[in-house]
Amino acid sequence: MVIRIAAVGDVHLDEDVVGRFRPALEELPGQADVLLLAGDLTRHGTESEARCVATEFGGLGVPVVTVLGNHDHQCDQVPQVVKVLEDAGITVLEGDGVVVDCAGGRLGIAGVKGFGGGFAGRCASDFGEPEMKAFVRTTTDSADALGATLRGLDCDVLVALTHYSPVPDTLAGEPLEIYPFLGSYQLGQAIDSAPTALALHGHAHAGTERGTTPGGVRVRNVAHPVIKQAYSIFHLGDHLDHPQVSGIGASGIQQPWS
Amino acid sequence: MTEHRAGGTGPPDEYIEAEIHRLLAEDPDVAEQGITVVRRERALVLYGEVESPHRREEILRRVAERFPDVPVTSDIGVIRTQAPTEIEQLP
Repeated sequence: MVIRIAAVGDVHLDEDVVGRFRPALEELPGQADVLLLAGDLTRHGTESEARCVATEFGGLGVPVVTVLGNHDHQCDQVPQVVKVLEDAGITVLEGDGVVVDCAGGRLGIAGVKGFGGGFAGRCASDFGEPEMKAFVRTTTDSADALGATLRGLDCDVLVALTHYSPVPDTLAGEPLEIYPFLGSYQLGQAIDSAPTALALHGHAHAGTERGTTPGGVRVRNVAHPVIKQAYSIFHLGDHLDHPQVSGIGASGIQQPWS
Repeated sequence: MTEHRAGGTGPPDEYIEAEIHRLLAEDPDVAEQGITVVRRERALVLYGEVESPHRREEILRRVAERFPDVPVTSDIGVIRTQAPTEIEQLP
């Protein structure tokens, strides 16, 4: 059996975007078991922008699970944003997880926004000024919450959902100088602390789609400017011999293994 | 943000490039972190992708408003939102 995951991040909704994603989203019920959103749902994190997200991504016929991104924090209205999303049936994760019953098994999703700091050997340290320590501790706390949640979920397939990147691989294309603002290795370490099958993130608009953690977990950057489509679809199933990409024909997804 | 040195006729300098980059992120009417500002001999070129034609126009309007003396050209696209034509299978 296969678990089908649709995912996109960084949709940055406001009134001017409402309706652009909807035609593609209407196709989801036949093609995916769940839609995961990798943060930056809004431009400035206002309650009114969250209502745009609820309009666009609510009532889709598949469960929708999200983390917030840095843009969703801009106007300090996180509680209002979360309430609007949850009222629309969207599950918002931050340091916690959810298990979705799919036809192919129980999908566990652990989510945090995450934070920056950089990658092994070239990262910020918990040392010096209070501002620097607060920066690094924000990252560490977020990664700790992600790791604990991943290790605690009782499910068949485990997915990590973040906004910031857990690996540098999927940042390729971004200027090296800004890597520390795009992700942190601690998130990757948390992902590797559990039998995670897939890690999804956004945030790096100029990055690339594919990478792996040092522990071998597949990482996908699903930021909308990277995938250049309404969402990507991943099929997770341990019976498949090797990774492959198949086309979706006019009559729906072709399943080459069937 | 530091004030722009108006009236210059020379090529745009690094500080203007930095100011435009910050303007794009920090101006509430724009709030874009994914636009690249590239300095060319005769103009600054803005690259990147946004979620609507309105946002692209707003970026150019705000940059022209704040830096009227700086020649700016745009190659900003609007990101497609079609359903995927392929799936990725992960064993």
